[in-house]
Amino acid sequence: MYDRHFVTPVGNRGMYVLDTSSWRTHRPVMDKATCVNCGICMGYCPVNSVRWSEGGGYYISYDYCKGCGICAAECPRGAISMEREGGEE
Amino acid sequence: MNYLDILKNSPDMVSPGISACQGCGGELVLRRVLQVAGENTIVAVPPGCMAGSGVVGWSHDSGMKIPVHIPLLDNTASFLSGLSHIYRRSGREDVNIVAIAGDGASADCGFQSLSGAAERGEHMLYVCYDNEGYMNTGYQRSSTTTEGSRTSTTPLGRRFSGKQQPQKYVPLIMSMHGAAYCATATPANMPDLIRKIQKGLAASKTGFAYLHVFSPCPTGWSFAPDRTIEVARRAVKSNMFPLWERDGDGWTLNYVNERPIPVSEFVEGIGKFSKLSERQLASIQRAADERYAAVSALASIQNRA
Ligand SMILES: Cc1ncc(C[n+]2csc(CCOP(=O)(O)OP(=O)(O)O)c2C)c(N)n1
Ligand code: SF4
Ligand code: SF4
Ligand code: SF4
Ligand SMILES: [Mg+2]
Repeated sequence: MYDRHFVTPVGNRGMYVLDTSSWRTHRPVMDKATCVNCGICMGYCPVNSVRWSEGGGYYISYDYCKGCGICAAECPRGAISMEREGGEE
Repeated sequence: MNYLDILKNSPDMVSPGISACQGCGGELVLRRVLQVAGENTIVAVPPGCMAGSGVVGWSHDSGMKIPVHIPLLDNTASFLSGLSHIYRRSGREDVNIVAIAGDGASADCGFQSLSGAAERGEHMLYVCYDNEGYMNTGYQRSSTTTEGSRTSTTPLGRRFSGKQQPQKYVPLIMSMHGAAYCATATPANMPDLIRKIQKGLAASKTGFAYLHVFSPCPTGWSFAPDRTIEVARRAVKSNMFPLWERDGDGWTLNYVNERPIPVSEFVEGIGKFSKLSERQLASIQRAADERYAAVSALASIQNRA
């Protein structure tokens, strides 16, 4: 009964990760033609779903994005639009 | 380094999927503080929305890539004081000792331990994410809830409508503890926030560093989740939440507000303020004017010296 689980109860199995992408009703879509790579959306994303790549600049990762719309509301160029998710097929 | 370069080069220390609501100001603050602190960090997150969102672990899983502990709602700063002493005695002052605690855990229940640790000058960075209420247990009022706010313990009624008392302005109280560093910040002013996290971490090696961060809560305050940053921006522009810092050299006003917007523009669109009376609005305006005047006066003393 008193095995290692009780010595280090938290973290011995790995990382707790919730699939928050399933919360989205809308997804942010970035128009790279309008984007000026200012990075404001990256700084403000609470989920860290706006990422940077050396070759392509800023982009949105949909793995955990909750669809809050902050990036779209704060982009000074209006380069991000919130588009309705298709939902379950 | 530019704040964007800092963020690009600072991996997230928190699990990518945590259950904080869409647009949560607290989640944004949590991730930024720990990104800047990095992996050589031990963090305490007392009960509250951030702990409850899974970052302190869930079942046998951890919610962070760094050591994290959930102390009690009332003893975060005491717990970290002990931890900080052990690390200093072991010659490990390089390890960042960080608290990320709500307003309830800081300004109310945990205030005795926080005040004690600040006055003793314990080596740590204590970050209070202030969402103005006990959000994790269902949006009860706290001492930092703005006057007139609708919460579950201050409902809108005919005799009493919203919180009856003015907000306790905690950051100025904390600044009077003589700590190594004390500052206010908001997620809307991101470069300023990142700089203050860095400065706070540096100060935590020689004494107590305190950061009070305005953290809008779309769910508890009733506003659309995409407005979190705008709400924080208006809090600064209306002087509801002036940006300032106090270090060894004295007070500095970080945002000189030459043309403040009226607080009526701050409360606009926030559901918890939907039934404010004229008297309540005037009282909130007065509190905002007073705190800006107080902090400006303190900053001018420094300049005179
Ligand atoms: C002594 C004690 N009283 C009550 C609770 C229940 N409780 C858990 S989280 C919480 C709310 C804490 O509010 P705050 O620190 O502001 O964090 P928030 O939930 O707003 O993020 C309360 C009251 C507790 N854990 N301990
Ligand atoms: S805020 Fe807008 S312009 Fe700036 S990087 Fe993001 S999408 Fe591009
Ligand atoms: S919608 Fe919200 S969570 Fe998704 S990328 Fe934009 S800011 Fe981040
Ligand atoms: S209730 Fe408020 S503070 Fe709590 S997770 Fe939701 S938005 Fe964040
Ligand atoms: Mg709170």
